[in-house]
Amino acid sequence: MSDLLKGNFDTAKPVVDNSEDGQTLEQRFEKEALKKLGGSIAFVAKQEVVWGDEDAEQDD
Amino acid sequence: MDASQAEREPATADSPSLGQQLVAQMGEITRARILDLALANARANLPAIREGQSLKALRDMEIGEGDKAVVIAAGPSLHRKQVAEQLLAADYDGAIIATESSMLYCLRHGIIPDLVVTVDPHPSRIVRWFGDPELTEADLQEDDYFQRQDLDSSFAKALRTNAEIIELLEHYGPQMRIAVSSSSASSVVQRAHQSGMQVYWWNPMYDDPNRQDGITRTLQAENGLPCINAGGNVGSAAWMMANAVLGKKRIAVTGMDLGYYADTPYRNTQYYYEALALAGEERLEEMYMHIYNPHLEQWFYTDPAYLWYRDCFLQMAEHARCATYNCTEGGILFGDPIHFTPLADFLAA
Repeated sequence: MSDLLKGNFDTAKPVVDNSEDGQTLEQRFEKEALKKLGGSIAFVAKQEVVWGDEDAEQDD
Repeated sequence: MDASQAEREPATADSPSLGQQLVAQMGEITRARILDLALANARANLPAIREGQSLKALRDMEIGEGDKAVVIAAGPSLHRKQVAEQLLAADYDGAIIATESSMLYCLRHGIIPDLVVTVDPHPSRIVRWFGDPELTEADLQEDDYFQRQDLDSSFAKALRTNAEIIELLEHYGPQMRIAVSSSSASSVVQRAHQSGMQVYWWNPMYDDPNRQDGITRTLQAENGLPCINAGGNVGSAAWMMANAVLGKKRIAVTGMDLGYYADTPYRNTQYYYEALALAGEERLEEMYMHIYNPHLEQWFYTDPAYLWYRDCFLQMAEHARCATYNCTEGGILFGDPIHFTPLADFLAA
């Protein structure tokens, strides 16, 4: 963008581009949306369904 | 590929839709979203856990007559199929296990569940099922999650309903048991205690508990609680407890649609705003998967989270030492080894 826009004055302080890792607004929006998706809690793809309760453990 | 997978949109095999791509990432996305919060909650709950009872204690109790259990989740079929009325009419005396989200439905119909289950670590949403004494109109304006969905449409009248559930729990709470996950928010734990419910603590599994340096194993060493594979959501956790903790051998699930009736507007789905952000208005359809239920000869549609729940459930059911009957009479949860059957048939058997 700095190649396209030319000011006719010098800024008092250097201007820093704060956009995250060069991501577009759309990409940031999608990233935030993804963070809110998902289930309520984890699922572990394992046959053992209870652990730490010696009486109940089912270990195939 | 099993039969149920084959019924998904034809795009599945070669060019998965956006929604289908997300299903494959749901486990990872869920972990990223909940793990830090769930473990922080577990640490904060440690004093209460040390003073409380473990879920193990339920194994010594006779809960419900016989080997049957009915799990009541809060999907839209719960109302459409009049589950409570059917249970009452049949004089059903087996165990009733309810998700916290269906607690209000049960109590309104005069059913006191034998066990309520809660697991989601969300800091402000889950407490709403218990009645949130701090709830204000500003909160409602900020988060319309409940009002948009058909989980329990009466939450649209949120403040009035909030007062009602507080009153119901004040009255019936002391007669109720609740399996509270260590991941639960302090607001939920506080409400469970305030209302006099008998609290039984447990841990959800986060990874393979046999991993020496794993999260589940470390957590269990810290708080001593049994760890349960919760299957991604509270309904699956309730079903798991019916078998693995209460030892029931014939388990019916109700209100476990894991999807939406075809006439439900997208706006009323759980992740509508997120779907909109990811796909945009023009491609919104790609976020949802349409599934034909051959048992009902009816179409339903679902979102990536619900479809992931279904995949998790089918995996768990395959290894469970019980017969599972889906008596929801709606939705997308079908496939081997689940018996898809009307609730009336289950109750009569």
